[in-house]
Amino acid sequence: MKKVLSLILMLAMLTSVTAALAEGETINVGCLQDISGPTSSLGNMATAGVQWAVDEINAAGGVNGKMINLIVYDTKADVTEAINAYTRAVTSDNVSAIVGPPIANIALAIAPESENNDVQILGFAIDSKCQIKPDGTPYKNMFDFQPSAAQQATIMAKYALKNGFSKFGVIYNEGNAYSVSLQAPFIDTVTANGGEVAKVVTYTSNDKDFKTLLQPIVSADVDAVFVPNYTQELILIAQQIRALGYEGSLICGLDACPPFNTLFGEDCDGIYFINNIDGTEANVQAMLAAVKEKTGIDATNKFFLGYDVANILKGIFETVGTNPVGVRNAAEQVTNYAGLTGNITIDPATHMPKGLEMVMFTYQGTTPVMLERYSAE
Amino acid sequence: MTLYTHILTQILISVVSVAGVFVLTGMTGMFSLGQAAFMAIGAYTSGILVTKLSAPIYLAWPAGVVLAVAVGFIVGLPTVRLRRDYISLVTLGFGEAITALLNRTTALTGGASGLTGIPKVTTLWSALVSAVLVITLISLFKNSKYGRQCIAVRSDELAAKSMGINVPKVKMIAFLISVAVTAYGGCLYAFYTAYVDPSLFGWKKSAEWVIMVFFGGVNSLTGSVLSTFVLSGLPEVLRFLQNYRAIIYAVLVLLIINFKPAGLLGEWELTPRNLRRIIARGRRVQQPKGVN
Amino acid sequence: MQILQYVINGIALGSVYALISTGFSLIFNVLKFSNFSHGALMTFSAFTGYFVAAANGWGLVPTILAAAATGSLVALAGEFVAFRRILIRNTSPIYFFVSSITLGTLFEGIVVLQVGANFYNYPRFFGKPLKLAGLVISQSDIIIFCISAFVLVVLALVIQKTRLGRALRSVSFDRDTASLMGIDVTRSIQFAFIISGALAGLAGVFLGINYTLYPTLGSLVVKGFIASVIGGLGSLPGAVIGAMLLGIVETTLISTIGSGYAPVFTFLIMLVFLLVRPRGIAGSNIQEKA
Repeated sequence: MKKVLSLILMLAMLTSVTAALAEGETINVGCLQDISGPTSSLGNMATAGVQWAVDEINAAGGVNGKMINLIVYDTKADVTEAINAYTRAVTSDNVSAIVGPPIANIALAIAPESENNDVQILGFAIDSKCQIKPDGTPYKNMFDFQPSAAQQATIMAKYALKNGFSKFGVIYNEGNAYSVSLQAPFIDTVTANGGEVAKVVTYTSNDKDFKTLLQPIVSADVDAVFVPNYTQELILIAQQIRALGYEGSLICGLDACPPFNTLFGEDCDGIYFINNIDGTEANVQAMLAAVKEKTGIDATNKFFLGYDVANILKGIFETVGTNPVGVRNAAEQVTNYAGLTGNITIDPATHMPKGLEMVMFTYQGTTPVMLERYSAE
Repeated sequence: MTLYTHILTQILISVVSVAGVFVLTGMTGMFSLGQAAFMAIGAYTSGILVTKLSAPIYLAWPAGVVLAVAVGFIVGLPTVRLRRDYISLVTLGFGEAITALLNRTTALTGGASGLTGIPKVTTLWSALVSAVLVITLISLFKNSKYGRQCIAVRSDELAAKSMGINVPKVKMIAFLISVAVTAYGGCLYAFYTAYVDPSLFGWKKSAEWVIMVFFGGVNSLTGSVLSTFVLSGLPEVLRFLQNYRAIIYAVLVLLIINFKPAGLLGEWELTPRNLRRIIARGRRVQQPKGVN
Repeated sequence: MQILQYVINGIALGSVYALISTGFSLIFNVLKFSNFSHGALMTFSAFTGYFVAAANGWGLVPTILAAAATGSLVALAGEFVAFRRILIRNTSPIYFFVSSITLGTLFEGIVVLQVGANFYNYPRFFGKPLKLAGLVISQSDIIIFCISAFVLVVLALVIQKTRLGRALRSVSFDRDTASLMGIDVTRSIQFAFIISGALAGLAGVFLGINYTLYPTLGSLVVKGFIASVIGGLGSLPGAVIGAMLLGIVETTLISTIGSGYAPVFTFLIMLVFLLVRPRGIAGSNIQEKA
């Protein structure tokens, strides 16, 4: 049994090595993601999107005749692993750029390390601390290509206030940087605009029983509950708050995007969420169908983020080549790139998108209904 | 080249921590699932002192180690008196508690987003010197009176007690030494990666170290060091296997534990005498060839 | 009323912990080690249950059966791969522990290979929660509680009344003597692993129903570990009581001091408890011998 297993692995090794050799002149691009570990769904999805774009690019003749060779690095959701992978990518595999993870902790760990060289990391970590140093200047190589935490939270808060909600409850995971980074700007925006946050509850990643935690929020009789948490926790919270008899609204981040509606197991009315993509657009729908057919994956927003960034990268390589400093200057100058996740313009001062719109959604039954496009400004 | 320097530095930092676990688990037979939490105390204390209070490093690092030892003493007081099964439970609970505290005290620790801005001062050379120093100290300890008592306690606690060994005291000494060494490993780590977050220090990390000690040979410090090199280096060597890495790693450890339960080296140590023996044996093998 | 609700939530949580801790305790009883592969085994069987049964639209019972069967088979295979040789060598139980953690890594690695980018959740097996005089009780909690209770009672009967159960008890009491008395030790141990694997499958499905399916679902094994130690290592009734207690203590702590500091207090309570009653709630006095 073990012999068979090792034989298979040897073969897999051999094929991958020969495949790499056969490629000839290529541009190496790293994809640094959580392929295993608690956030593997996000990492795998982003990787699938990047891979899809790279396949398209290579099928269409590559970048100025050169094929893109995508090298995927698993960070295992572990900071040490991530730094190892990053070092391997820049020193040994000589990648021309890296598509970074949507996970703040990983980006935060790589950020100081990335100062030592010039390879660009184009990622999706929405916590501004991943892109901006404590002194206010940006890390020279760190980029984020989706709206920042502050922007996302502001969009959600403004939308909620505009639609007549005024009294809020908040439940967030204090052991999760993503969750933490969204709650503060949300609360700030709500209170600055005349709303009231009646009850804030925190939990940790070990918690599974949310009924006890949610009881005070339900008792506080709020209009809406802000729930900035990863999908799996969000499902539990939504199920349990409904079980407690709460009939108000839930304001969620990207995590309530489909396939949340199929996982939730009941009607999702009253759940509001933001998305990078508009699933009602024809080109997005075509992409969803094509991906589903070829890979069996129900693509989510992370897929589209990965897809867009890979294409932005292609454009940069085509115009300035693969010189890292050139890539950085070009990345800072990205203006009005019409991607599937919106019109992306990078702010050179923050290395994050400026005024990038997000789409506000809700569900009717289990069907997502697009409400309106929104930007934080 | 940079890649190898980097990996080697990380392995050497791990060697320091694993050497600490060796004292506790390998020599004394106590199982800690919260050892990584002491690494966290070392890393966070020194990191916070330097980033928030701009304390000099030669004060911050010892402070980290001292605080860890102080906490270790408090945790150890009840623990060393408990049955062995409970030690792993208490240390596990302790680890969770430390993680919770780190997440809670956001103003000081940065909470879930981690502590940023730690200067990078650990180099390959300082890691190497640290590892060599720690290994030397621990091998001295192993051969000291207390070291032998530790081994006696591990082999048979009742017998050790009846021989007049003060079992709780011996356990406490081993525990504190391992805490100090692990905390020092934490300082090295924090000032190498320049970033730490609470999720790094869970019980899985502690369990990983225990596996390294057993993989190398419970009674062999040389084995622990060797296995740290093998098991920390392996995931990097196997990186191209991607998702299969964890599986290969697990299969390898299972093979060793099952087919060579004494670990890679068993009781064997790399001492000057053993080294001479190897060389002598090598000569003996070569000599006949020379004669012919 | 509020307090009663917390107790109900605690018991619901505890009944899931109980399934984990009994499977855990069963192996401890026989081989005297904490089987940390139990967690990954739960994940593995829960996912198998999903792919084999639930994803094909089959109901709860086939899903549970599929998961339990997988759990038993994989546990049996795990015993052969990771524990048999250590058992024959009769080396220290610590080797079992190391082997079990590694086996867990192996199971988890296989799950990750299979799962990839998608999210998974069991279909809704149960209807809306019941409301009784201001109390909210979800149907899944009631059914999980009943099935857990039923399975644990059956388990207790099997262990107390049947030949296999008696053999198992004698093996866990003293392996060598049992062997001299003509009991097939290996078979008894295999029996323990089959039962423990089935419990892991059951617990996995319940965890999946309550907490959605994801590759690190098995990390909840830590709760089972804590519960079984509090209960008295190796004692099955103790494991159940410990689990209930842990569930209630956790919900109480969360409702009073919040979730953030709860682990700190859990640790302190645990420490005090172990000092006051180091044998656990129902623990037999296992002799300390290396």
